[in-house]
Amino acid sequence: MKRRSLVLVTVDCLRADRVDVRGDASRVTPFLASLAKESVSFLHAVVAGAPTYFSLPAIMASRYPLSLGREVVGIAPGESTIASILQGSGYQTAAFIAANPYLSPRFGYSQGFQQFSDFLGQEGSTLSEPATISEGKRPSRLNQSLGRLSRKTKFTAAAYDELYFRYCQWRSARQECSMDQLRRYPAADVLVDRASTWVRELGDQPFFLWLHLMDPHHPYYPPEEGLRLMSCSHITPKRARFLNSFWNRGDLSAGRLQRHREEVTALYDAGVRWVDYQLSRLVSVLKETRRWSDTIFAVTADHGEEFLEHETRYHSPTSLSEQLLRVPLLLHAPEPLGPKVVAAPFSLIHLAPTLLDGQGVEAPRSFAGRTHWKEIGKGEMSGSPVISECIDGCNNPLRRTNRIQPRLLAVRDGDYKLVLRFRDGTDALYDMRADPEERNPLTDGVASEKRVQLLRIAWEHLRHSREGRDQRLALRARLREARQRIELKVGNAEKSQVESAVVAGEHG
Amino acid sequence: MSPYRSVQLPEELCERAENWSKGRFDNLEALIVFALQEIVSEEGDKLDREEEELVQQRLRDLGYI
Repeated sequence: MKRRSLVLVTVDCLRADRVDVRGDASRVTPFLASLAKESVSFLHAVVAGAPTYFSLPAIMASRYPLSLGREVVGIAPGESTIASILQGSGYQTAAFIAANPYLSPRFGYSQGFQQFSDFLGQEGSTLSEPATISEGKRPSRLNQSLGRLSRKTKFTAAAYDELYFRYCQWRSARQECSMDQLRRYPAADVLVDRASTWVRELGDQPFFLWLHLMDPHHPYYPPEEGLRLMSCSHITPKRARFLNSFWNRGDLSAGRLQRHREEVTALYDAGVRWVDYQLSRLVSVLKETRRWSDTIFAVTADHGEEFLEHETRYHSPTSLSEQLLRVPLLLHAPEPLGPKVVAAPFSLIHLAPTLLDGQGVEAPRSFAGRTHWKEIGKGEMSGSPVISECIDGCNNPLRRTNRIQPRLLAVRDGDYKLVLRFRDGTDALYDMRADPEERNPLTDGVASEKRVQLLRIAWEHLRHSREGRDQRLALRARLREARQRIELKVGNAEKSQVESAVVAGEHG
Repeated sequence: MSPYRSVQLPEELCERAENWSKGRFDNLEALIVFALQEIVSEEGDKLDREEEELVQQRLRDLGYI
């Protein structure tokens, strides 16, 4: 029997409600809406962690993000991934990553790929280190001094912040820029072009292709064609720059940010629309090269995006809201899957083993998830508890102090979701049917049996995460990071710091 | 009792490590101490245990352990 091929597309920040086959998603993702009619659509796919650096270990290696310890970021050296397994089974493998620095060889994601293009340090990307993700430049010394002085009262602080923002806008408005110049990541068409070339050169060999697209990621600078497809051509690059700067302000309340929310989400939707169009192009290439009929095509996301639903923006690991955890998942495959809608919650921890099973390849025992291929084919998917975790507030996992912090853990079973915030030792239980926006946690006496059940699942997860830890993999990952930290340090000053720490017997 | 311990390592490995660490550490001992400190750091494990205990205590408080 001819082996199938696999295409996995992960779209950064793609919300589930933008690819919801039950709703009006066709406005933003018409191609995916049409593809859904011949695919398995998961209405309740849930990531095992958020954001990207906590989500991808589950997608690629079927491992909970903190299972190797919170010192480990990314894929450990030698860790089995869907790529390494397929490569070992004779597949040609390639990945095209739209300049997300957390999905780079530095974090182990190139393992198993014969070709790995991350577009970092290339034209179209201004990112080389995750810590540099920010808009604008540092204020001058004069402005820094004025800023400090202004903090004496709330009124002067607010006035200064507003004036400084307007000053920055006035300065940047003098420079004409295009969306392409403002964008920090290569757009989806760049990756699809490269992937298409690769597929065309393959011949008949079975392959695994991974695309990670960044178009919906902030700052939101969609291609102008994407804006046109969404009838938003009136949003100029200048306006987009203002909207992104405004949306990024840390001094404004959610109430004030609401003022431009609609336009900001229009920019986001245009990015999603562009992804949708590019995926239609990729599928056309697969059809043109006669690979479509023997390829499993999976589209999902690493996490969603918030637009003030809980007065927060973007995708910070300070909550595990449904807007972040719930993602789209479409599986298009040759028989026996067929078109179906799966309503039961499905954790992406099970995605890799399921896709491998679809290829007729056995998943390694190290995978925490299990295959659901047969149940999907038979239409017999039943719900099981879904667990998601992250390190509370860890916006920059490169900083060790950010990683060695308490975690956030969410356990969902049926209609109930328990969120444990270890930083303050609290837990909140939500009835997701009555309270889908997670605004009113239930008091202790209500649904107490459910609370206990979910607490027990959480406890078992934590215990297994620690006791079942692969210490060799964890050690390799920690040594890799230690080596990278040493290699990044240049000059005698840093060397002295490291040595002083060593001499003093301290660490870190 | 000496605060230090002597260990024996393959000469070839030591030479490779010394070549790699030139400009980063003054000597091989400094590199090895740094690497061992990375390995034995238990801050993360400590948090893991505390989180487990917290959930256990919560279950006790609810009367289910």
